[in-house]
Amino acid sequence: MADFDSAVALSQSGPEPLAALLAEGGRPAGLWQPEELGAIFRHQMAAPLLADLGAPAGAQGAPCQSFADLLHHPSPPLALLELVKDFAKTNAEHPEDGLPKEIAAVLYYLCIAAALLRLGARISKLPDADLGRGLRWAAEQPWLDEPTRQLLAGALAAVPPAGAPGAAGL
Amino acid sequence: MAAEPSGSTIFPRTDWEALGQSVEGDATRLDRLIRLYWRPLKVFLASAFPGLKAEEADLLLQDFAEDKLLKAGWLGRADPQRGQFRKFLKSSLRNFVRDRLSRAEVKNAPLSLEGLEEELAGPEAEAGGEEFDLEWARVVLAETLRRMEEDCRDPAANQPHRSQIWELFRLRLLEPLFHNAAQTPYERLVARFGLRSPLEASNMLLSAKRIFKAHLVRVIQEYAEQDAAASEEIRRLEEFLARLAKRS
Repeated sequence: MADFDSAVALSQSGPEPLAALLAEGGRPAGLWQPEELGAIFRHQMAAPLLADLGAPAGAQGAPCQSFADLLHHPSPPLALLELVKDFAKTNAEHPEDGLPKEIAAVLYYLCIAAALLRLGARISKLPDADLGRGLRWAAEQPWLDEPTRQLLAGALAAVPPAGAPGAAGL
Repeated sequence: MAAEPSGSTIFPRTDWEALGQSVEGDATRLDRLIRLYWRPLKVFLASAFPGLKAEEADLLLQDFAEDKLLKAGWLGRADPQRGQFRKFLKSSLRNFVRDRLSRAEVKNAPLSLEGLEEELAGPEAEAGGEEFDLEWARVVLAETLRRMEEDCRDPAANQPHRSQIWELFRLRLLEPLFHNAAQTPYERLVARFGLRSPLEASNMLLSAKRIFKAHLVRVIQEYAEQDAAASEEIRRLEEFLARLAKRS
């Protein structure tokens, strides 16, 4: 294990690293690089679904073992999608306790997208314009894998433009 | 007192009045105080009085410590209404040295006066102030890191992964900032420390930042008076360092 001699390192330091230490040390912003968000997202998609959500009785042996299983399932259980959407929303609102906000937000929109595309169900009360903006934002995240991006883009295409006839029926 | 004290522990006080009263009655605490301030004060002297030789600066600082810092009642004059504690130290030292050099000039003592005339003729304000403040920031941050590392490495600390938290902070933040090392990716940290996920590594880094912040506040509270003053002092240091960083 390498040593870091704080007194020596700082005594020879210019103002830039000192300023950065003071700023970074006191604040969590700017924590994640895009490739790191990608790593966290991949980990989250592979994570056991029921363990993260709190496994309900009798849930063992469910067809969707991981988040990826659920979100890319051709016919995902609607109740599970809603459960994951709530889980993501809670995490997005409290990023200090769980997932980075970006990951939670993408997960949130993925649940809505999967329900919309696979089941024709709308599990969000967001107006079309807001939903469209959210799906577009999620699809543009550079750290997403291609199947996930396509799911979000497909759902975006399925959301009628704001004010279009029949938009409220989705 | 030794020519140049080593070590960097500072006195555990949180308000000026108590600082003045108790430090004077406690030689150990006062010794610690002088040890911490020694290097910034020496840097300040060298910059404000460039004509001083190193041994003259040492001598003047020792005299300053004995005649001022150690003198009963002097620290009690440190008035929070008159500005920050470190400003008080700077102006006291500047006045002390000017007085000494003026007297030395009169007596034709063997002190170098080359810098004196230049200094007295120059602007009154902040000669050497930036060097002092930069050195001050170095001391505060080094002391913060020293305590943080000690805390994290304490086997009695009741927190899982405590020593790994320091290592992660070192690899993610300190080595890249101070040794120009590449930032270790989270996935490599996961493998290195046997963590469950990058998210766990991220949470550990957040914990590290919280520990760093807590120690920083404590270090500053020992010379700034209360919580609000410590926050203000952190803000001042941030602004000062950011300004210097932009210029350099």
